[in-house]
Amino acid sequence: MSAMSVTEGVHATSRDFARQPLGKVGVWWFLASEIMVFGGLMGSYILSRIAAGGWAAERAHVNTRLAVINTLVLLTSSLTIVEAHAAVDADQRSRVRTFLLATVLLGCMFLGIKAFEYSHEIENGLTPASGLFWSFYYTMTGLHGLHVLIGIIINFSLFVAAGGRNFSRIQHRVEYAGLYWHFVDVVWIFLFPLLYLA
Amino acid sequence: MNATHKPGVGYVTIWVYLLILVAAGVAVLGAPVSKTVAVVLIFGVAVVKATLVIRHYMHVRQQPLMIYAMLTIPVLLAIAMTLALLPDIGLRP
Repeated sequence: MSAMSVTEGVHATSRDFARQPLGKVGVWWFLASEIMVFGGLMGSYILSRIAAGGWAAERAHVNTRLAVINTLVLLTSSLTIVEAHAAVDADQRSRVRTFLLATVLLGCMFLGIKAFEYSHEIENGLTPASGLFWSFYYTMTGLHGLHVLIGIIINFSLFVAAGGRNFSRIQHRVEYAGLYWHFVDVVWIFLFPLLYLA
Repeated sequence: MNATHKPGVGYVTIWVYLLILVAAGVAVLGAPVSKTVAVVLIFGVAVVKATLVIRHYMHVRQQPLMIYAMLTIPVLLAIAMTLALLPDIGLRP
């Protein structure tokens, strides 16, 4: 192998930032900005909670059992979307569609459980106006739920597109959608202990 | 094939680890430990879970150093903001 081709081989690896696809860099930038959004909210929540003495009484009203189920649902959806990405790399169109659909259904299940949880809390008079804990609770879980909904729409559009003629055009998009979906999962990994466990 | 991706490398195994960690985090609630130790354990488990997802599902291990910087800087800024405001808001008498 010539020196030139060795150099080309090194540059062709994905660890070279200059050779990253623009779409992928864009997704990472977007996720970096999202870290500030959720990081700011979580930081404000932690500060307010320490100042208020812990919010133990308020926290006793949240449904930890449903939150555990939702955590398992979202972690499983991370598995299904990474399997969809693996199927894209293996050029297995039917597996891509199956795992994308599974991710969409798990996302819908997450939102359904969250809606059920909200309805019970609102029935019991626990609304965003019930105090600072509930303002944070609805803001953080609501913003997260909005991200899940957007992820569902993206994944469903990719599921539909994967059945069409231009399968090759969506291959990178499945990876980008996966990055977004995993980020949403990571946010929940921290919201779960902040709101339900600690 | 995408160079960042190695199909089928332990994704299900990572998922099993994540489920075990969820159980561990919930089990801390019933453990005979102080509140401070419980909080440290619960958030320690959360950090491990997040690290597993970021490293193995988002394939951050195979990304350029610049991507690490893009993700690490906002995390540090969010932590710094919280710590900077702690004496004035969180610990105000």
